[in-house]
Amino acid sequence: MLKTTLAGLRAHKLRLLLTSLAITLGVGFIAGTFVLTDTIQASFTQQIAASADKVDVAVLPSPSDKPSPLTAADLDKIRTATGVAEAQGIVQGDAPLIGKDGKVVGDFPTAGVSIVTGRLGRTEVTSGAAPSAADQAVLDKDTAKTRGFKIGDTVQVLDHAGKPHAFHVVGLFDAGIDQRIAYTGAVGFTTEAAQAMTGEKGFREIDVAAAAGVTPQALKTAVSSALAGAGHKVRTGDELADELAKANGADMQFITLGLLMFGVVAMLVAALVIYNTFNILVAQRAREMALLRCIGATRKQVFGSVLLESAVVGVIASLLGLVVGYGLGWGAIAVAGAMGQELPAVAVSLAPRTIGLALAIGVVVTVGAALLPARTATRVAPIAALRTQTGEQTFKAGVLRMVFAALFLVAGVGTTAAGVMATPGPQALFIVMAGGVLTFCAVLILGPVIVRPLSVFAGWLPAKLSGVPGRLAVDNSRRNPKRSATTTVALTIGVTLMTLISVITATTRATVTAQLDSQFPVDYMVMSQGALEGAGGPGGVPRELAAGLRARPELASVVQIRQGEARVGRADYQVGTYDGPYKVVAQKGSTQGFTGTNAIVGTTAAKRLGAQPGGTLALATPKAGTVNVKVIAIFDDSAPLPGITVPPDAFEKWFGHVNDDQVLVNAKDGVASDVARKAVEAAAQDYPAAKVVSSTEIRGQFDDMLNTMLMVITGLLGLAILISLLGIANTLSLSVHERTRESALLRALGLTRPQLRRMLSLEALILGLIGAIVGVVLGGAFGWAATQTLVADVLFRLPVTQVLLFVALSGLAGVLAALLPGRRAARASIVGSLASD
Amino acid sequence: MTITGQDAVRRAAPAAVVARGVTKVYGQGDAAVHALRGVDVGFATGAFTAIMGPSGSGKSTLMHCLAGLDTVTEGEVRVGDVDITRLNDKQLTLLRRERVGFIFQAFNLLPTLTAEQNIRLPLDIAGRQADQELFDVVIRTVGLADRLKHKPSELSGGQQQRVAVARALISKPDVIFADEPTGNLDSRSGAEVLSFLRTSVRELGQTIVMVTHDPVAASYADRVVFLRDGVLVTELTQPSPQSVLDTLMKLEG
Repeated sequence: MLKTTLAGLRAHKLRLLLTSLAITLGVGFIAGTFVLTDTIQASFTQQIAASADKVDVAVLPSPSDKPSPLTAADLDKIRTATGVAEAQGIVQGDAPLIGKDGKVVGDFPTAGVSIVTGRLGRTEVTSGAAPSAADQAVLDKDTAKTRGFKIGDTVQVLDHAGKPHAFHVVGLFDAGIDQRIAYTGAVGFTTEAAQAMTGEKGFREIDVAAAAGVTPQALKTAVSSALAGAGHKVRTGDELADELAKANGADMQFITLGLLMFGVVAMLVAALVIYNTFNILVAQRAREMALLRCIGATRKQVFGSVLLESAVVGVIASLLGLVVGYGLGWGAIAVAGAMGQELPAVAVSLAPRTIGLALAIGVVVTVGAALLPARTATRVAPIAALRTQTGEQTFKAGVLRMVFAALFLVAGVGTTAAGVMATPGPQALFIVMAGGVLTFCAVLILGPVIVRPLSVFAGWLPAKLSGVPGRLAVDNSRRNPKRSATTTVALTIGVTLMTLISVITATTRATVTAQLDSQFPVDYMVMSQGALEGAGGPGGVPRELAAGLRARPELASVVQIRQGEARVGRADYQVGTYDGPYKVVAQKGSTQGFTGTNAIVGTTAAKRLGAQPGGTLALATPKAGTVNVKVIAIFDDSAPLPGITVPPDAFEKWFGHVNDDQVLVNAKDGVASDVARKAVEAAAQDYPAAKVVSSTEIRGQFDDMLNTMLMVITGLLGLAILISLLGIANTLSLSVHERTRESALLRALGLTRPQLRRMLSLEALILGLIGAIVGVVLGGAFGWAATQTLVADVLFRLPVTQVLLFVALSGLAGVLAALLPGRRAARASIVGSLASD
Repeated sequence: MTITGQDAVRRAAPAAVVARGVTKVYGQGDAAVHALRGVDVGFATGAFTAIMGPSGSGKSTLMHCLAGLDTVTEGEVRVGDVDITRLNDKQLTLLRRERVGFIFQAFNLLPTLTAEQNIRLPLDIAGRQADQELFDVVIRTVGLADRLKHKPSELSGGQQQRVAVARALISKPDVIFADEPTGNLDSRSGAEVLSFLRTSVRELGQTIVMVTHDPVAASYADRVVFLRDGVLVTELTQPSPQSVLDTLMKLEG
């Protein structure tokens, strides 16, 4: 029996290959994910270990919610502890680098760090020298490259008060594994200069080197007792490396899981493709199976032979998948390297776990998908060997199928409705997702029933336009509803998710844009670095800037927003004010009488504080102690105001004369946008830390973010779509094989080769369209449901062009999938095909 | 003896299909198989001709070459005034569509189409309208009026073959090629199908070339040509089952 199976496999190498490809791609993606993330992590671990190796003991601030910083006194205590050869404090804060355009670089201020040299020097200076005087600095090499600075240049850097200082660039350094520096870039100084520039009083970390003969463990004990009672974390170098590696591993795990989700979708689609392929193969080989039964094979042996075939396919495909995955991982790292995200040389990692998981997943999915077809194979009666013609498979919608479909549909729609009704939030979204899965199951069960009417619908135009080939294509697409349904469902999965994502994106875009329009009606915003993301740059924007803007005749209104932090109850809240003509839209209460010690509160802050109009809040302010404010209104969070907003006079009294956080500017009607922009920029020119952005830019940033997200997800889902297209190609080529004589008959009756090819293309087009239509309907419906769970008043948008594009592309992809099978069918000799059995 | 008189008229009619020196070789070198070795034969318009011969005599190959389903190695085949050996695939397809009808031994019908759709298929492919009068005549002749809406799987073997005959007749081709049309049928259904074929020759003036190895089937034809080892060896006119059988016995012996 084994020999028979293997001989059969050898005889159909090509078919085997096409079938394997689906699994190969899925396994390849999963293996590639592991290879990529393992390699990145190995590289990080290596760097962490190399860096931590220089340190015998490291002291870190306590991890409690209000970290007590490491002070100079702490450093002195450590230096006098027994067994300490050397101890160095590491300073890190903000030190905004000014670019060649006279404005600070980047969206966030660059980091200012101290560069330690000597035995504890953990920063790798790659060219030039480390700073050794107060007017010397080093730049991280990425920043130097992107901003166009080199060794020997003089750069301007803002200190914590926003005052520029000049430094000579004496060297470049590697940012290493520090994520913050990798993102913002950094300027390195001597420790004293770093403290002066950043205004940081304490240290981020104190590194300690042991005297000769002192073990790290002993040093740790000594340092701990020297610092007793301060609550700092004391770690040996090895412990530090472990902790950092673990933290990094947790980050990587998040990425791994995210990528694996797409791998799971791809494998699900691959399983459907395999299931369908084996079903067709079993149907086509019914006579072969019957013959085996005639000559004495038991049902068990027939079952085993099909499973064995699937196992061989699974193993080969998974091995190929591993190779593909290794290539994918390697390619991703190479591409990242080429784009400047170089990883230090580590071997691309192929862990035993990757090999084991990839093989296991590939084989289990393949064999699992072949179980049902194998069972069907055992039901072939021996007598079937004697029948000349295998009958057409007829399909009748059984009662059981309808009952199950109805149950799933009711459960799915019910769950979804419950999710939509629930208060918006992650929980409601999960309920909707569960409803989506249940509904999809119903569609899966109903597939063979709905594929018939849908094929007529999808095929209406092709049949009209294309005459006989079109009509035959419609007939063929529905002659085996189960097969068509499984083939199209594989595509449906991908299209559903694509549509879902694009609906959510479009809806988010529309909702946020509408909110921006109503709540944030400004043309320009002047703010310090990072203020857009709420990080708040050092010092903010001096108030003179707003005064300068008010003096400009091109501008109509200028609103200053200032904020600080105050403790309310047990947590800190942003408390601020606005000064200028801004209209707050109250959700609850009224902004009438917004003077004195009255306050208005944003929805999120109000929810956390349980604040209602009429209630009072006790704020612990820096200048005036605890004060009571009366809440008079609640406003939507999308307004550019701090969570707790008080009148300007009160703010001034409680927080002092602080700089503006943001300045909102509206141009006068009729002033051209470039004129207005020049006016705003001229007023901001003298303040390097003040950045000017227009509302179109803000929207553009938001749009870019959404588009990037959409592109990444679409790209990742593309794999599932590709696999489902393989499924269409596979089903078609098997169908073509099955209908060899039919095609020959048609050719004999006068169907030309192009017409035969067109017939197959149209069949594939119809299959593709059915898959897309179901996917678009499901994706649209659940996209709507999902967006209802995001925020209360959402503006639903169906991206019609995009959705139509999905449908068109699916149809086109189907046609592409039919190219090879079509060629083969058209080339077959009529006489040979007529004679074939 | 009116039959003889009509027959004489038909003899005088121009040939619908003519083969001259047709040779067909499969494979090359040592493995070469000579299926046809220079066959010269003509098939008169409006006549019912049977091609007979023992297994492997080349009768099916000859039919495939005559119908343009297969290419000839050497020689010339004319359908009407066209030398089909000079046509490319597209032209051959169009020729089959316009001027040739087929009836095969089995698998004559598309399982997805109803009987009527199957009958109209060649016309649909050619984008032609059926001659409704002819359609009615043909349907009446083959007795399928109450079966038109049925799928092939709902028809008996004899009925399926009658649908195939109707389909071949409906486009009024210059010639119909029938390849063992009764091979899969019981004798009664077979006799019915053969009667229809003969009737269509008599009443509609259809030209039919039929390959068969059944002497009874061959006896329905006006003329029988005998093939052996790829060569035309003899022929009979006005055959009877017995005379066909005798000739076959002589060829085999």
